[in-house]
Amino acid sequence: MSDALAKTEEVVKKGKALGADEVIAKTTFGRYRQTRFSNNQIDISVAWNDYATDVVLTWKKRVVATLIRNFQNVDENVTRLFKLAKVSKENPLHGGFAKGKFRYQKSKADRALGNLENPAEYVFEAIEAAKKEAGPTTNAGGVLLTRLDDVHLVSSEGPMGEDHRSSIELSIRAFSQKEASGHGVEVGSTIKGFDPASAGRKAGEIAKLAKNPKAGVEGRYDVIFDPLLAGHLVDMWGSMTSAYNVMIQQSVFVNKLGQKVASNIVTMRDIPASYSLGNRVFDDEGVPAKENVLISKGVLKTYLHNTSTAKIFKAETTGNAGIVMPTPWSVEMDAGNMSKDEMFREVKHGLYLTNTWYTRFQNYAIGDFSTIPRDGMFLVEKGEIKQSWKNIRLSDNALKMLNNIVGISKERQHVHWWGFDWGLPAISPYVLMKDVQITRPK
Amino acid sequence: MDKDLADFALDYATSKKVEYAEVRAHKEDHQELVIKNGVLDAYASMVDSGFCVRVLANGGIGFASTNKWTREEAKTIVNIAHKFAKMARRRKKITFAEEKRMKTDWRVPQKKKIEDVPPETRIETLMEVDKALTSQGINVAARIFAFGTNLTEKYFVNTEGSVISSYVPRISTYGFITVVESGKPEQASRQFGYAGGWEALSQWRLTEEMIHEAKVLQRVIKEGKAVKPEKMDLICGSEVTGIAAHESCGHPMEADRILGREMSQAGRSFIYPKGPFWLGTKIGSSIVTIVDDPTVKNSYGYYEYDDEGIKARLRYLYKNGVINEFLHNRETAARMGTRSNGASRAINYDREAIVRMANTFVQPRDMTEEEMFEDVKQGVYMRTFMEWNIDDKRFNQRYVGREAYWIEKGELKHPVARPVIETTTKTFWSAVDAVSKKVEYEAASCGKGDPMQGVPVYTGGPLIRLREVYVK
Repeated sequence: MSDALAKTEEVVKKGKALGADEVIAKTTFGRYRQTRFSNNQIDISVAWNDYATDVVLTWKKRVVATLIRNFQNVDENVTRLFKLAKVSKENPLHGGFAKGKFRYQKSKADRALGNLENPAEYVFEAIEAAKKEAGPTTNAGGVLLTRLDDVHLVSSEGPMGEDHRSSIELSIRAFSQKEASGHGVEVGSTIKGFDPASAGRKAGEIAKLAKNPKAGVEGRYDVIFDPLLAGHLVDMWGSMTSAYNVMIQQSVFVNKLGQKVASNIVTMRDIPASYSLGNRVFDDEGVPAKENVLISKGVLKTYLHNTSTAKIFKAETTGNAGIVMPTPWSVEMDAGNMSKDEMFREVKHGLYLTNTWYTRFQNYAIGDFSTIPRDGMFLVEKGEIKQSWKNIRLSDNALKMLNNIVGISKERQHVHWWGFDWGLPAISPYVLMKDVQITRPK
Repeated sequence: MDKDLADFALDYATSKKVEYAEVRAHKEDHQELVIKNGVLDAYASMVDSGFCVRVLANGGIGFASTNKWTREEAKTIVNIAHKFAKMARRRKKITFAEEKRMKTDWRVPQKKKIEDVPPETRIETLMEVDKALTSQGINVAARIFAFGTNLTEKYFVNTEGSVISSYVPRISTYGFITVVESGKPEQASRQFGYAGGWEALSQWRLTEEMIHEAKVLQRVIKEGKAVKPEKMDLICGSEVTGIAAHESCGHPMEADRILGREMSQAGRSFIYPKGPFWLGTKIGSSIVTIVDDPTVKNSYGYYEYDDEGIKARLRYLYKNGVINEFLHNRETAARMGTRSNGASRAINYDREAIVRMANTFVQPRDMTEEEMFEDVKQGVYMRTFMEWNIDDKRFNQRYVGREAYWIEKGELKHPVARPVIETTTKTFWSAVDAVSKKVEYEAASCGKGDPMQGVPVYTGGPLIRLREVYVK
């Protein structure tokens, strides 16, 4: 047993000794390194060392939580927490923490990501690749982030384990003109095969195509979504499968289990695999994290659960705790059978949208929302990009859009960047959707 | 909080070859509870503390933070920050605008101390709101309330001799409700925030406000009519005025955006050097003045000194319809040849301080609310909004009404279901022909930075009247 795991167990024992019914302690030693750049130069490089133990305990169904830094004042903190439980209020919907001993997969974290040598070189490589595509006057900005978390979890209900989670992500936005830009990302769980230039190339390619944009025209269009934008939507739909979001009606999937919610060609899964940015071997209750099929051939198969929400919905935990709120780890849309070129050939008069941000709902339960495409957005005529556009908004319905997917590409990309409103990584294909409403300012 | 250790870290940084260094220590005593559909989900209580060092060396910036309060760790993070600063290899060296050193200690007073309010009272206060809300004969099918308090202690020292201590208590509530009527749901969210003590609760009138929201949603479902899309007059309530001021004035006036430092995340600005809009350019009608003011007492965005140790002051962003003054930190001020106006903020010890708003609002004028409405032949009164967004240049924006009414011959008629204004910054502010005299504020968390830093702010303003804008 590692020293950190032993100290984490002491926290649990302390809580139990005070009289708590259940205690979970999760210690994370995180090393995060970030390099931010703009105007082709590095603005700042940042390092965070984080030593934290999340503690949750229950007493007579009263759920309380705290955070202990660097194992300081454990006795005092846990005692204070237990006193808080005694004056708190019962949560009749608390279904207990997961019980039992579990075997976990071996973590495959890349420890090199705890302290990457020369992160600036990755940044410069991406910038140069963008310039090579879009020209020497290209102006690029972005961020390189590496993460290594050592996680030690002990539950009074049996689970005990250690996990190591690593990730690297580079996000670059290149401007060929003031209003012409492209965005590329390269993300993964290991430095092996990590190719910063590919993100730069993608950003540069789109930035070059996006030159001299014209004001877009309102209407309904067939739209090809680049994997970066499709990932944003996958992120949104995946988050709405959390049972918690269903309970507070911040989801279009309320009362829709077992029903058709998407086009027949849509299958979506939550997969916390070792290759994913969201890699982990157990959830926050110590339940083994696993693949869950969310939507299969258009039919909603499950909500994502922790032990408590599972009991409310008369289901089993899906290994997605969050103590309070279950959450997806890494949502994927299954590959389809079209090539990207075939997809473009399908579009007689439509759009190709590469990125978006600022997605906001007027009604989550119904699904009405809008989001603002950014970076390259293009008019497509007879399968060819004909014009670069600007100043448009996608104003539609989240459920209707799921049902209007008519094409999914074979190729997929692992994507994530700052603008993902739900914050999850995704693996997403190119997606062709019919009848998408585009609006613009008047 | 070990101030001596922070001083030690600064001394150690000074021993390196640096142009500038600062150490900022934070201690946050945070309590939060969440009530979902009438049940207390969980109550969290924690004290978090740590410190960061920011170093300017060889024209580059390095930043490192930790929550391990040891001398060894302090040396480690200084070494990392110094190494990172040198790694930048910048062609254009970063400098900071010259500012006065400051030695001060400031605190936000509380009439009723948050520290003295026990958890039971906090829980019961929120439970009572939920109970009252569900006793109105309205089907509020889903409710969530998150209630939080933060007691923030900071200590700031830099190599120029500034030493600043501060203490700010903040209190906040977020509510999200779904009302279902005849099988049709409508939703509303509200945020309340205050710098000060428990006295905030009496000012917020949480119960009355949330009941009002539920009644509005029910009425919109029952009686709301869609508007016929066309040009008409639009009166914006304080909440709508405030979000427009925040999104289409406050954000584009952040100098780091203007200079491109946020280009790949929150974006740039329609204002940029040698562009069509710059200081002195007309952006709205002459009666539009929008300010950002951190010094509004007890405001959610209140502070006296920013996180670079610069004294806070009121900033006139758009003045009489003209672009007037950007929001600056020391880095952007140096690049533009001016002085910082104290807009540098960080949410915690592990985040870099960047250019932020505080409380952004339209300044009032002299009209009564009655006068605002009386000569509107037909139009919409958009009192509050639900959906909103704006492009990353801060020019193309959209607001969708939550509580809205049809106006005919100066009188309010039926509710309007989700009216939409989708327009540009210049069109919006140029259409304003009347501003009322009473300012009201709405609390919000403003998102910016990578990693994201949600800072507490107020948005707000009086009623404003826009003539002949397209509403759909």
